[in-house]
Amino acid sequence: MTTTTVKTAGTTVVSFQNVTKSYGRVRAVDGLTLDLHPGETVALLGPNGAGKSSTLDLLLGLRTPDSGTVRLFGGTPQQALARGRVGAMLQSGGLMEEVSVRELVALGCALHPNPYPVDEVLARAGVTALADRMVNKLSGGQEQRVRFALATAGSADLIVLDEPTTGMDVTTRQAFWATMREQADQGRSVLFATHYLEEADAVADRVVVLHRGRLLADGTAAEIKAKAGARRISFDLDPDPDPGPDPAIGPAPDPATAIGPDPASASGPSAAVAAQLRGLPHLTRAEIHGSTVRLQSRDADATVHALYGLGLYPRNLEVAGLGLEQAFIALTEAEEARP
Amino acid sequence: MNALVKLEITRALRNKKFLFFTVIYPAALFLMIGGTQTGSTRVLGTTLSLPAYFMVAMASFGALTAVLMGNSERIAKERESGWVRQLRLTALPGHGYVLAKVAGSAVVSLPAIVVVFAVAAATKGIRLETWQWAALTGAIWAGSLVFAALGVAIGYLVSGDTARPVTMIVYFALSILGGLWMPTAVYPQWLQDIARWLPTHAYASLGQAIELGSAPRPGDVALLAAYFVLFAGGAAWLYRKDTLKG
Repeated sequence: MTTTTVKTAGTTVVSFQNVTKSYGRVRAVDGLTLDLHPGETVALLGPNGAGKSSTLDLLLGLRTPDSGTVRLFGGTPQQALARGRVGAMLQSGGLMEEVSVRELVALGCALHPNPYPVDEVLARAGVTALADRMVNKLSGGQEQRVRFALATAGSADLIVLDEPTTGMDVTTRQAFWATMREQADQGRSVLFATHYLEEADAVADRVVVLHRGRLLADGTAAEIKAKAGARRISFDLDPDPDPGPDPAIGPAPDPATAIGPDPASASGPSAAVAAQLRGLPHLTRAEIHGSTVRLQSRDADATVHALYGLGLYPRNLEVAGLGLEQAFIALTEAEEARP
Repeated sequence: MNALVKLEITRALRNKKFLFFTVIYPAALFLMIGGTQTGSTRVLGTTLSLPAYFMVAMASFGALTAVLMGNSERIAKERESGWVRQLRLTALPGHGYVLAKVAGSAVVSLPAIVVVFAVAAATKGIRLETWQWAALTGAIWAGSLVFAALGVAIGYLVSGDTARPVTMIVYFALSILGGLWMPTAVYPQWLQDIARWLPTHAYASLGQAIELGSAPRPGDVALLAAYFVLFAGGAAWLYRKDTLKG
């Protein structure tokens, strides 16, 4: 494996300035402004139709913007590609058929201005065992790995990947991201589009969320989660809060009063208590189902403090971070709700 | 770009079906059509013997097959599969793909020409001066570029599924009407008037003029050149349209 460190310091890797692209009446990319810096691993996240693939097409010069500018390393995408500074793996990228995997990867290396040895590229992509197989006899996951081999045939400063792990099994996927991290550790910038949110969470040090061609959020995975209402609070609530000492820590209660039938227990907290709960500070969402209460809060500590301040006695209280997936849903739902 | 040319050639030479139709088929067709004729039969209106006529016709036909059939369908399919897109992400210059395709088919068209000549010389005793053999090979090979450009244009014009039927129609119409399968002199006058303006007619005439010991007629060369400009221009325009689409 080559362990050269790429020198890209001081330059902006990718720069989108107010880029717009429409297909007919559909605005695929709508006023996008975005800068990528050297060494960043950036996940491009968004639901289907958010403009991820269009953004990558514009970035790679496969399409030209209607307005705005796209610059790679200070030049045009075509110049960056001609100098071998970008390695890219697209979902729409096909492979040459009726040649062997080795022949195809050797071609990729031969076309690259700064190629790696063919055997090294094959090994890194995990296709050494497939080297003599014909390209048209590969499975979907194997094809993905060959595409990855082509994208890493030579030393590049930016690696662009569109849904790279589609069709890969779990083991291959983990090996793939380990390889990608290695590339990033050598100072390369990595930009990948994905719909696997856990991948964005685990791999990217920056997450860019697109929605309807617009930039919805841009930050670390933690910041995205915080923006969406970062923490989840859940607990059970008895219908009629007992103002006396907590039975769990106080003296043992009288069995007759503790076990007696309670007609209100199925309906959960009263309407007045529900209104109090919904009025807690920093909430972004409140759900009450029977005696179960689920809240999302921007400041979980303050919310829990206020909860106890109401004189309520929540049982089984849990405070947990919001997954990126929930954060993502919260963000796009909020955007959909806008007029 | 040399790497892509080499791989295209490797692939073409590996494709048995393609090799059969470009290299063996024209020679076999020569034996079937030309084999029944004696060397003393003359083509209507010329002093050319029928076997000599068919030798040039079939060599031209083989070269036409190699450059037209191979490229149009493959380009159309590779545009659809996304291989053309993938190549655009490499340092290969934009026109490199098309040039590699043309170069790759030109390498296969050469044996197609030579095999027909060898079979004709061996079985029908066709004897020409050394310069004539060399000039024939060169003229037919160079002339095939006109049809290579046509193949590229069709490849960028139609979809992968329709590339084959469209190419077939163009291929048979050009071959038959242009006189590659039989002398156009046997056609009715109105058809001869049309055939005279076809690129395949001018293409076969190049070789026939050389067989008769003279230089190709300027009119044929001019007509082929005009078709080349038309096809190559069309291919370039369609290629640019495909590249900038959206």
